[in-house]
Amino acid sequence: MTEVRGCNLPEDLYYLIDKHVWAKPMEDGTLRVGMTAVAAKLAGSNLAGVTVKAKNIGQELAQGKSMATVESSKFVGPVPAPVTGVLLRGNEALASDPNVVSRDPYGEGWIAELKPSNWEADKGSLATGADGIAAYQAKLEADNISC
Amino acid sequence: MEDEKILIVMTSGPDTPRRCATPFFFATLAAAMDYEVTMFFTIDGTLLLKKGMAETVFPKEGGKPVSGFIQDALDAGVKFTACTASTELHDLKPEDLLDGVKMVGGAYMWQLAEDAKTTMTF
Repeated sequence: MTEVRGCNLPEDLYYLIDKHVWAKPMEDGTLRVGMTAVAAKLAGSNLAGVTVKAKNIGQELAQGKSMATVESSKFVGPVPAPVTGVLLRGNEALASDPNVVSRDPYGEGWIAELKPSNWEADKGSLATGADGIAAYQAKLEADNISC
Repeated sequence: MEDEKILIVMTSGPDTPRRCATPFFFATLAAAMDYEVTMFFTIDGTLLLKKGMAETVFPKEGGKPVSGFIQDALDAGVKFTACTASTELHDLKPEDLLDGVKMVGGAYMWQLAEDAKTTMTF
């Protein structure tokens, strides 16, 4: 586990830093995706809903387009897709307990699964490993964000 | 996916602060879902667009003013249109309203409604 400014940011994930979302390649070639501990911090501690738009399931979403929404009493905003891909399914557990995305953002709190359209090309646009975490740290320092 | 249009008609104003947060919150949420969202302000809703007014309207005592909800909606890309006749009702001139508000007639509202997938009224 790597902690940056109080935010847990594992080195083995792929991050779209500006949007505070992560992707994790699964053995079957799909991606599990979610929002980072930083996004959870920005959204607030008591989430009212994390919702994948049902109509988007089975559709290809471009990198950066909204794949889900997060609502709390102080925030409402999109969860953008980290890479271009077909939205396969949302995490149904979030309907009854949206706050799992704050408690366990990289585990039980995953948001959706995507079939990436061109992972080999797109992964170059994501930050990963020690260099990726250093880049994320620079972003947090520039924006003065801590968890 | 093709963007879909949503229209939110806002008639509530500063006299009913508790009715003035949710319409903007829903608009922001719909924009976050990639809907193309237009709000049409008429009757007392137009008063919320008067420069300086929304800063003084608090849906919850001690909470965020309506101006904060308006800013969230504008930041998310929600378009604001105001009914010209309602500005006359309140003796407002176009320059009295927030920057970026488009002044339109009633027929424009009907076109928005016809083009929208969903229309909500508050």
